[in-house]
Amino acid sequence: MRKILGLAAGLIIGVISGAHAETVKIGIVEALSGPPVIVDFGESYLQGIQLAFKEYKASNPKRDIEIVVYNDEANPQRSVSLVQRLIASDQVSAIVGTVNAGSVVAFAPLAQQAGVPLMIGPATATDITTKFIDQKPSYIFRCSMVERFMTDAVLDWAVKHYKSIGMIHTTSGYGMFALNEVQSGMAARGRTLAAVEAAAPTVSDMTPQALKMKDAGVDLVLIYHDSPELIFRAFQKLDYKPATAAGWGLSSQMAVNVIGKEAIEGGVMAQAFDIEDPKAREFDAKMRAEFGDKYRWPVVAALGYDAMRLVLQAVDRAGGEPAKVRDALEETDNFRAVTDTPSHPFSAHNHECLEPSAVFLGVWRGGEVVRLAN
Amino acid sequence: MFGSDLLQVVLSGIALGGTYTLLALGMFVTYAASRAMNFGQGDFLAVAAFLGMAAMTIGISGAVAFVGVCAAVAALAMAVERIAIRPLERRGDGESLNVGWILTTLGFGLMLQNVITIVWGKSRYYSPPLFTSKNLAPLHVFGAALQVDELIVAAVSLAAVAGFYFALNRTNWGRNLAAVSFDPATASLLGIDVRRTITIAYAIMGAATAAGGVLVGPLGTVQSHMGPLFLVKSFSVVAVGGLVNPLGVLIAGFGFGVVEALSNFFDSTFGDLYPFLIVFGCLIVWPTGLFKKRLSDVR
Repeated sequence: MRKILGLAAGLIIGVISGAHAETVKIGIVEALSGPPVIVDFGESYLQGIQLAFKEYKASNPKRDIEIVVYNDEANPQRSVSLVQRLIASDQVSAIVGTVNAGSVVAFAPLAQQAGVPLMIGPATATDITTKFIDQKPSYIFRCSMVERFMTDAVLDWAVKHYKSIGMIHTTSGYGMFALNEVQSGMAARGRTLAAVEAAAPTVSDMTPQALKMKDAGVDLVLIYHDSPELIFRAFQKLDYKPATAAGWGLSSQMAVNVIGKEAIEGGVMAQAFDIEDPKAREFDAKMRAEFGDKYRWPVVAALGYDAMRLVLQAVDRAGGEPAKVRDALEETDNFRAVTDTPSHPFSAHNHECLEPSAVFLGVWRGGEVVRLAN
Repeated sequence: MFGSDLLQVVLSGIALGGTYTLLALGMFVTYAASRAMNFGQGDFLAVAAFLGMAAMTIGISGAVAFVGVCAAVAALAMAVERIAIRPLERRGDGESLNVGWILTTLGFGLMLQNVITIVWGKSRYYSPPLFTSKNLAPLHVFGAALQVDELIVAAVSLAAVAGFYFALNRTNWGRNLAAVSFDPATASLLGIDVRRTITIAYAIMGAATAAGGVLVGPLGTVQSHMGPLFLVKSFSVVAVGGLVNPLGVLIAGFGFGVVEALSNFFDSTFGDLYPFLIVFGCLIVWPTGLFKKRLSDVR
């Protein structure tokens, strides 16, 4: 009897460990709680990831692949310990995440050191992948917007159409970084900002900042703040109607909800997802069917979707070995993205899925972000 | 131009200062009654802002929503006193400092934050204007624009302080509060219903906080994490105003709002810093607040 039990136990353990060996895990770290504006990014990117994973499972039912999702609460320290856990304990083949550039900067060296490919998204800080590109091989990839690309697209358009350009930015790390990018971008175009105002992320009223813009005669206000609704509200109060432009944050449905459909009409922002493209329309319809009202942000969800499909296709070709997944990612070809990601996005010298030319300007028209005609 | 700009900034500051005043008034009354405060008070403000927004979104008029939410949050405040403060109150040995209520009220506030997140999610919301049909028609005062809702916040906080002054000085409850604040045991021996006096104080705290929450919702953005910042600013107000005089709270509340707006106007990069620097300065010069010495009595 004891022998039979021992044999059975051995068989069960064998089956479990055998199954475990074949299971490929992909770790996801996103900010799913914390400041609402951060959560909006995290949830939207994750929705894209989930749809990509669901479609993959449906078309490859026999492939044993799992995703492990962790919430880093927009906290860099927590994100570092979660990435350590994904690498050491969950033994994932690749990692996707996260929203805060500060978190990514903190954990990217861990992934590089451990030799586990990291697909960054939706963080946008400019030099995250370039910091690692000289390390042969670099395990750090990104499928997200890049701050410099956004700034260039907005400034090229701004200097062409507006005489007096001002900026309101948040005093967080992101806002100060954006200020540097915009100021150096303006200088490179032979222009300076007519007015620069700042506000803490937790500000409750931006009447003083709006007043300064109005007094300086600014006709285009660049908005780099987490609470754009307070700026729009102050503009209304002061009966001041400048043009407005921002990073991609202004394209979230949440921005419409808090700013109002009328006030946001004509607001310009950087984009990499053209809703008028048939494949983008198809993706948009699938997301609406899958997530309903919780689907708020097409461009972020679409980048999450493309990021996950890139990783899944790499795993499909290479298996679960992280180094091979990295090589497969870099060799990706004939990729059909829903965003403006090219078919052969990566090379040994470039780990960004978007090229500067892929970023264009979108504008709110009738409750939808459409491509801005030049 | 500069004059009207300054007036604009000061008026905007007064509106926000009104909210700080209402919260600080709640701190003042609960501290006087029980030598404790509700550290979850900021989250009470958030709950009120969400309830006000929900009521107006389903078509309830601003005035009815205002009264209803104040009553509901007053009931919640009485509950927090019963659940999170009373069991810990003065249970110690009489010598060591009893500060367990800091943790329990903070915990209660965190629970409220989570309830908001469960019900409304983590998104930010735009609360409809409270008393104006359209938020786009501001009043003009000497070249400065002022939204009706901003004016109402200032008016309500002024009225609340006036009403509170009257209640403290002219009603039995006010006299009872003075006695309870001085020494609850003696007050009890004098036949004062200490428990009831404290409960009413918490109800007033709830109603004042709710008034601030419902009124501030349409001025800014409503979100689950909005409470703690208001708590910190209102705590600064009550520290500067002194914990013994509602007039001090009013002056410090409006003053904090105006200084905050002015510092955002003159140097927006450090807009949040200057009000707190001034608070530190005031506390160095007057450690017990502006009005403590003048009126050592609770009233």
